Amino acid sequence: MSGRIIWAVIIGMAVVNFAIRFPSIAILSRTELPAWAKRWLSYIPVSAMATLVVGGVIRPDGQWLGPLENPYLWASGVTGLVYWRFRSFLGATIVGVVCFLAFTALLG
Amino acid sequence: MPEERSKQDACPPRARFVRGLKLGLPIFLGYAPIGAAFGIVARGLGFTPLQAAICSGTALAGAGQLIALQLLGAGAGAVAVVFTTAIVNLRYVLFGAAMSQHVTGMTLPHQAFLAFTLTDETFAVNIDDSRRGTADFASMAGVGVIAWTGWVLGSAAGALAAGAIGDPTRFGVQFAMPAMFTALLVAQAEDRTHVLTAVVAALFAIGLMLILPDPWYLIVAPVLAATVATVVSR
Repeated sequence: MSGRIIWAVIIGMAVVNFAIRFPSIAILSRTELPAWAKRWLSYIPVSAMATLVVGGVIRPDGQWLGPLENPYLWASGVTGLVYWRFRSFLGATIVGVVCFLAFTALLG
Repeated sequence: MPEERSKQDACPPRARFVRGLKLGLPIFLGYAPIGAAFGIVARGLGFTPLQAAICSGTALAGAGQLIALQLLGAGAGAVAVVFTTAIVNLRYVLFGAAMSQHVTGMTLPHQAFLAFTLTDETFAVNIDDSRRGTADFASMAGVGVIAWTGWVLGSAAGALAAGAIGDPTRFGVQFAMPAMFTALLVAQAEDRTHVLTAVVAALFAIGLMLILPDPWYLIVAPVLAATVATVVSR
């Protein structure tokens, strides 16, 4: 692959990713939003995380997996329980990855 | 709030920054192996280790970068690659909007720095911390810096040691992101309304994955779920 294409992609992604992230923070933090809009925004984090979990767990790599052949689903369940019980982000993530390897071996 | 503010003021910025580094340590540990996976694939496509590190350090785009490599490998041109990663990362417009309510009063350069380090994980950790009243620029910057470091070091290491590491999936790397998302989801589900909102978002996500081309469900499902929650909780 030519160095020119690689540099074009690197520069393009850098510019575009910042252009996507910055304006909404800069503009909306200086705008007085109505109460309903603030409430709406307060539900975005939980909704976004639920969406990311579902996408990454039920259909990893774009492929739908049933419950009995899906180590992602079971490992995610354990990860959630560990976080809920111990409130440790690090602990839950590590236990989750270990369980994933175990469930992968178990479910073939 | 005034009490919390005075507590923060009593704590020097450096200590608050270090607190942010500690908060973000799990992100570092999660990002480093995924970054390594990016580095390995990038090297295979002709990136030098320096190019892989610069790409990760300037884009910090996670899944967007991995998809960019897939497209490059399939022979796509630079414009198509950049455009596709932009679509994949459009959800950050939404995340930035939600973040904006937690960074009011910060200077534009500080907000620019936080925008630069905005990822799914830094977003969730900082919002969670902010709702407890313990976040400020220094702590959020700490979370961002440690996440960025994990991603960039991982990418560089992967690109440098591509031959020695081999297939990173045998270490369970592919579950690092879903594991972090799951823990962060439970952290966000603080009361009954938020739990129900998560369930509604999950159902929308499943339905939308069936009918929309990727990755639009990532943007549309949260928008719909937050709208339902706002209307119902009125």
